[in-house]
Amino acid sequence: MAAAIKNPGWWRGLFGAVAFGAFGFGLVIALRAISDLPLYQTEQTGYPHVIVPAITAPLGFLWGFGCFDYWLRWAAGLPTIPDDHSQHGAKSWKDYFKFNTDHKVIGVQYVVTTFIFFFLGGLMAMLIRAELAQPGTQIVEAATYNSLFSTHAVLMIFVFVIPVFAGLANYVLPLMIGAPDMAFPRLNALSFWMLPLAGILFIGSFLAPGGAFDAGWTGYAPLSTGAPLGQSFFNLGVQFAGASSIATALNFLVTIITMRAPGMTFWRMPLLVWANLSTSLLVVAATPFIAGVQFMVLFDRALHTNFFDFGAGGDVISYQHIFWFYSHPAVYIMMLPGFGIVSEVISTHARKPIFGYRLMALALIGIVVLSYSVWAHHMFVAGMFSWLRVPMMITTLLIAVPTGIKIFSWLGTLYFGKIHTYSTAMLFALAFIVTFTIGGISGVMLGMVPIDIHVSDTYFIVAHIHFVLFGGSVFTIFAGVYHWFPKMTGRMYDEKLGRVHFWGTLVGTWGTFIPMHWVGMDGMPRRVADYAEQFGNWNLMISAFAFLLGAVQLVFVYNMVVSWRFGPKAGANPWRANSIEWQVSSPPPIFNSTEIPRVVGGPYEFGIPGAKHAIMAGEGTEGAEVPAGEKSVVGTSP
Amino acid sequence: MESATVAVSHADHHHGPPEANQSSRIDRQTLGILLFIVSEVMLFGAFFASYFFLRVVVDPPSWPPHPYELPVAVAGMNTAILVSSSFTIHYALESIRRGNRNGLKLGLVATWLLGATFLFIQINEYVHLGFSARDLSFGSIFYSLTGLHGAHVFVGLMLLSFATIRAFRGHFGPEEKDHLGVEVPGIYWHFVDIMWLVVFVTVYVL
Ligand code: HEM
Ligand SMILES: [Cu+2]
Repeated sequence: MAAAIKNPGWWRGLFGAVAFGAFGFGLVIALRAISDLPLYQTEQTGYPHVIVPAITAPLGFLWGFGCFDYWLRWAAGLPTIPDDHSQHGAKSWKDYFKFNTDHKVIGVQYVVTTFIFFFLGGLMAMLIRAELAQPGTQIVEAATYNSLFSTHAVLMIFVFVIPVFAGLANYVLPLMIGAPDMAFPRLNALSFWMLPLAGILFIGSFLAPGGAFDAGWTGYAPLSTGAPLGQSFFNLGVQFAGASSIATALNFLVTIITMRAPGMTFWRMPLLVWANLSTSLLVVAATPFIAGVQFMVLFDRALHTNFFDFGAGGDVISYQHIFWFYSHPAVYIMMLPGFGIVSEVISTHARKPIFGYRLMALALIGIVVLSYSVWAHHMFVAGMFSWLRVPMMITTLLIAVPTGIKIFSWLGTLYFGKIHTYSTAMLFALAFIVTFTIGGISGVMLGMVPIDIHVSDTYFIVAHIHFVLFGGSVFTIFAGVYHWFPKMTGRMYDEKLGRVHFWGTLVGTWGTFIPMHWVGMDGMPRRVADYAEQFGNWNLMISAFAFLLGAVQLVFVYNMVVSWRFGPKAGANPWRANSIEWQVSSPPPIFNSTEIPRVVGGPYEFGIPGAKHAIMAGEGTEGAEVPAGEKSVVGTSP
Repeated sequence: MESATVAVSHADHHHGPPEANQSSRIDRQTLGILLFIVSEVMLFGAFFASYFFLRVVVDPPSWPPHPYELPVAVAGMNTAILVSSSFTIHYALESIRRGNRNGLKLGLVATWLLGATFLFIQINEYVHLGFSARDLSFGSIFYSLTGLHGAHVFVGLMLLSFATIRAFRGHFGPEEKDHLGVEVPGIYWHFVDIMWLVVFVTVYVL
């Protein structure tokens, strides 16, 4: 036991959480005792004796788990333990439950963890749809319903879509640019371990008196400043998820800028790398805004400051401005990495170079710049300055231009390509183009002030966000998971089950979210547990398709779990792709390669005779045995 | 997986990862701290945005609201103290570049003391202000902005403590890569100073 507490790991983590939590609790009680206050403050939104431990306990866990060990030694000037690489690679499933600094292990940890949150959030969606299947009250009270849609959205956004992309990129990005790992491996591990903590805070809010937070994922003040304790868990969870996301983005940026293989110029980087470069720029510069505004809400709740209290000189609308200054960029944080994945998949399976490669990269940067200038299109009916409406409408319509460029480039890539659809990844990528375009068009409609005033806060918004987030982000996530599954696990998934999953998902998505446009335009409000009789039939149909969509995800889980264990062995390069991650074994060797590859051309030169992307070190490549000391040239396949 | 450790083109039996290619002139640590500062600036940005709304958009009849006053002279003196610490940290860095270990130690200790003095004066100011964070939105944003900055001074002091401890234990050297542990906290410290100038001008002067 003593050794268990001494060495980093789950036991010391548990000990740290309890000890730090108790310390936080004691500190609050002691301070209140000194100040002659009642020891517990449970009347209003306060609960300092819960909020402070909810900050210190997760930190205690991270300390106990070993996230800070190296740094603490370094800071104290002690000799740091030389890296014996025991924190690299995973030899058994148990290694995935340890503090591991290997980007490939962290990538898998991310993807699996975030998918668990995806299914928890999905379960909530099923409950929501069960409630909405008929007018009136079915299975949950209105208050519970509010908590359900809030936690559903928060889990999906903060601990699924945003981090799952970080996970996929964690795995493939260093391989793609020929780096042995991320720039800051320990920070990378810390970023990952903050994520489950955020998820636990979000879900844990169900245990709080008054129920889970129920002010929507947007948590508008003053609804949120007066809400029961659960809201504070949201404020804190966002801090952990946000810190994780900022740290990862910083890591990606440094990795991409300073660790590219020789010859890998910016214009030879695969578009997935470009996509993560742009996303990381958004994260680093925008995420602090949500951190800041959630701190203000927390202060208003726990310390009784007056940021959003109109009676004491506060400003209610300022919450929305600051929130959306992060959260509009956030919708692109949730989309740009998907753009990158789709570019990889489409080019590979159409056997053609990306049409307009440079324009694709520049369009990403264009989106990054423009997305800082459109935030108030979420506030057309909020009572903000009316002069801001038209400028925001114009910038919103402008942002459709770079987005459109991307869509036409994918179509150009497909045009006269040798389109292979034997991979489920390609099916999802193709379906993404169509579904996302519909969502983009409803977005442009919403950007126009008169239309937005008509449909604001109706199911039309719900339809838009699910076309772009499910048909957009989630389809690309599935494409990415299927595409790199052989690389990550060394095994092939079952293509037949993949197809069942694909068609079920496509039909389910369209069946669920298309009718929402109609009921929205007819005035069915969002975020309400009940609705007028006239929407009954449509909603029954929506719920039926939603259950299909939910059920078919079980096929996906079965396929992934069973194939990971028993699937047929995958070769190094089953899709005959060019980028570097496919030129090493599946799964890749522990340090990605024994020698850094040399990049000699673009990543998408399919069908160009003699073209090659990278020269790899002698081993790890598919095919002929390479005599020692020689290099083989790979990356050409028509 | 085992095959990976078999080096084919190398005779030596090195079992670690290959050295990453350095594809940019800037090193990882410096770029990392610069990007971190970008996100810190944006965190301040969120609170400055709030300040703007509370002061300019809400537009109360007077600012600071009537009975409250800010001790501009004390804060101005404090500003001078913090700004001078930017010079001492610069001296520390220049010293180690020239191999002057005593200069390094002197510079670090002086910076640390100046920073701690700043923090001490600020806490003292809080005690004597006569209003709290609960007094109008003015009190909330005043304490948030200066408190957020104070927290950054605190973090900066921690980083400087690490560097100081290491300096006294004989770490660091004139080679560029051997004094990153001074340079990186130094960059952060300059940021904390400059940020203070912005906070001071906005909150106390304007
Ligand atoms: C051409 C691209 C897009 C345009 C022009 C656009 C425009 C808009 C507008 C104007 C609104 C505000 C509607 C309202 O609340 O009244 C909105 C809402 C929303 N959009 Fe988009 N959008 C686009 C793409 C995306 C993408 C790619 C995503 C995410 C992947 C996304 C996610 C959302 C979400 C989550 C909301 C609802 C926020 C809430 O809860 O109120 N949008 N969009
Ligand atoms: Cu938006």
